[in-house]
Amino acid sequence: MVIDEDFTYSLQSVAELGGHEDRAWHAAWNPKKPILASCSADKSVRLYTYHEDGEGKLSVSFLTSIPTGHTKTVRALAWSPSGTTLATASFDSNIGIWEQELDDDGEPGEWECSGTLEGHETECKSVAYSSNGNLLASCSRDKTVWVWEVVPDSEFECMGVMMEHTQDVKCVSWHPKEEILASGSYDDTIKLYVDDPQDDWYCVNTLTGHESTVWSLAWSPNGNYLASGSDDRTVRIWRRVGQYEFKCVLTLEGHDRTVYSVTWGIGKGKQEDGYLGWIASAGGDGVIRVWELKEHSTSEPLSHKMLTRFTDAHSVHDINTVVWCPRAGYEDLLVSTGDDGVVRVWRVTPVSV
Amino acid sequence: MTFSGALVLTDLNDFITPSQACIKPVEEINKPEVARKEIEPGAAASEIMIDGSGGYYEVSQGVGASGGGKRLEQAQISLNDCLACSGCITSAESVLITLQSHEEVLNFLESNSKEEEGKRKIPVISIAPQVLASLAASISASASSSTTITPQQTLRRLRVFLKQNLGFAHVFDTTFARELALREHVKEFLERREKARRQAESGKENQEPDGKNQYLPMLASACPGWICYAEKTHGEMLPFIANTKSPQQVMGTLVKEWMGTKWGKRPDEIYHVCVMPCYDKKLEASRSDFYNEIYATRDVDCVVTTGELDVVLRDKGWDLSIPVDGEMDIQHELLPELIGHPGTSSGSYLHAIINHLKKTSEKPLELSVKQIRNADYEEYELREESGPVVFKGAKCYGFRNLQNVVRKVGRESGVRVGMGAAGKLGGRMVRKKDKEEGQGHKIEYIEVMACPGGCVNGGGQMKAVGGGEWGEAEVRWGNREWTKRVETVYWLSGNDEQLDPELLREIDGTGLGLRTSYRAVESNVVGLAVKW
Repeated sequence: MVIDEDFTYSLQSVAELGGHEDRAWHAAWNPKKPILASCSADKSVRLYTYHEDGEGKLSVSFLTSIPTGHTKTVRALAWSPSGTTLATASFDSNIGIWEQELDDDGEPGEWECSGTLEGHETECKSVAYSSNGNLLASCSRDKTVWVWEVVPDSEFECMGVMMEHTQDVKCVSWHPKEEILASGSYDDTIKLYVDDPQDDWYCVNTLTGHESTVWSLAWSPNGNYLASGSDDRTVRIWRRVGQYEFKCVLTLEGHDRTVYSVTWGIGKGKQEDGYLGWIASAGGDGVIRVWELKEHSTSEPLSHKMLTRFTDAHSVHDINTVVWCPRAGYEDLLVSTGDDGVVRVWRVTPVSV
Repeated sequence: MTFSGALVLTDLNDFITPSQACIKPVEEINKPEVARKEIEPGAAASEIMIDGSGGYYEVSQGVGASGGGKRLEQAQISLNDCLACSGCITSAESVLITLQSHEEVLNFLESNSKEEEGKRKIPVISIAPQVLASLAASISASASSSTTITPQQTLRRLRVFLKQNLGFAHVFDTTFARELALREHVKEFLERREKARRQAESGKENQEPDGKNQYLPMLASACPGWICYAEKTHGEMLPFIANTKSPQQVMGTLVKEWMGTKWGKRPDEIYHVCVMPCYDKKLEASRSDFYNEIYATRDVDCVVTTGELDVVLRDKGWDLSIPVDGEMDIQHELLPELIGHPGTSSGSYLHAIINHLKKTSEKPLELSVKQIRNADYEEYELREESGPVVFKGAKCYGFRNLQNVVRKVGRESGVRVGMGAAGKLGGRMVRKKDKEEGQGHKIEYIEVMACPGGCVNGGGQMKAVGGGEWGEAEVRWGNREWTKRVETVYWLSGNDEQLDPELLREIDGTGLGLRTSYRAVESNVVGLAVKW
């Protein structure tokens, strides 16, 4: 472990959660309840809960495991904004929708599959709920991005199938406030989609600049920026300069290998003017990096400062995902998943001088 | 500047994505001999060599290896293989182009004209009305005059060109075949409805899992894009798809059997070309169901698209904007011409059923139409005046709407949706939900078409003419404004004259086969262990 002296924060390990029998792909924090979900090539989803004791010490404990029924790897997860529904994206090309059944006493019981979304031809890579929970997006190696409308009774209606990318689509991410969808692909581009009320969903813009696969996307909490992590080892920050116009205003370098995951949270930095929150990135080099971003004016470049860095976070293994906890009070919590099958929870803590 | 349809094959978009890899060659190489070698411990390693002429040789490197090597069979992919797989329809341009292209037609016509008198085949060409609308809209948009050319004029002008310049003996449009297809379609719907009614009376609901008891909703069968997709990915939908042949294949039967008999010709003595708005019609024509084994001939020998016909016109220097003599007169060439079928520009399958029900109902029926989201999905209800709903049907165009129809039909009829793992997923909650559904009148018929906007917007149609006029800087296939224009032109022709009952009776009497069948294609692609 290397902690540079000039870092003002450090990444403290809160929990190391084993249990997956194969590579841990992805994790998702429930936005309403203290639940953390992780998924794996072992086709299962594991749920954990966490709580703080009186002294602010966080403990994480295993809740239950869902053996999903997917026939292949569960690649990605997404909670609905209400926190009641979990979506699973699997290499078996399907999306599963999971809800907790009420038992006879009206108490939450087993997690049940309340529906499946079929349509992708090959491996489903990512899934995401829109900010109000009315829409669900998914993407696949079949090069398509699908948008589904969530209708009552766990039913879904297909709203659009976008065949815009020329290669495997790695990730989808919704704007935090508006119904704008972004996707990143093996074709090195990022595409943005919106709904034409007279017609179907369509691709409204394509962002080029990355020199290799775009693996991960994360919107800034205020929705004015989009971060992308790529196989070109960089994280790019795109500023919204028009309704659907974006411009790359910053390139974060430092990773020695592919950036598989980037996440953007509110963080616990000083909430002064221009404060944009914290970005964490991780990937093939096994290093988790945390940055704080600030804007001075919308015409100037962003300023960034690396808060901390943690090497060998999953020993020699690739890190597949890093995600900030979205719940109030827990904005300094980060989860990471690795090829070692381990799910780790971290807390970004100020270094006491 | 605009490109003609056929030149821009990369734009081809039938809304069914190409598969990642063609699996066909893999199936061919598993010879038992090779298999034995593989299990022998320490067997000689082998290498594949390619010689100058492109032949493949397996060369043994171990003990006793001789110089020559064994010539390997070349993997071949025929159009029929593609059809059986249908994974890469939209990307296998080269296969489509070489086997069923305008060049193939021209080559045939040339060699046919050199044959001796007795050996010559009769070349016949049948043109879909959507093709005429696309060409007419295209000429009207590029011509200097502001007059709009009708599909009828376009047909007359094409007829002169196709007969005089290319040597076709007969030039038809496919609306009479469509008339027969629609009649058969209605007949089949009534049969299915009756079976479903009897089944409901007997109290046995869809208990047989093999789909034998699944009759309604009946789904349209004219769109080959939809048929291919259903056979490949939604086998559970096949029992619902009408068995009535598409107008193209009815025309095939009409030309090769009925006309052939009239002319004293065997099916293989006629060469039948169809001009269609859609690339997938080429695949439909190559289905084994439409191949006559006795005479080794297809009902439709070759299908070309609107864009490809346009290329031929350009190559031969024929200008469709120039009128021909008598183009406004009524012409009768064996079959009645351009029969109008009011309803949709994709063939009015739903309307044919609605009209029949209205006509035969004892009480007057009212039709109400509900558009959902856009014109590509509409629900139609027939009800007795302030009475109950007696029929519910829908029109569903485009890949997105098709997904919802597949889900809806699968849910309402209780058949498993999809071939994937979903059968195993879906616990108690799903089953509980299923039971709660089923209130109200269920949809009994759906006119399904794979292209958004339907057949006037088929993948083989002319590209929009006139640049920015159509609301987009870049003119591409699928432009909605342009599609509307073609749709308008489509309705400019249409003959309302009563069909000759003698002719219909004569055709009925010959007992032409107007039905076909479908088979689910099981994918045997084993998912590779992909890490990404």
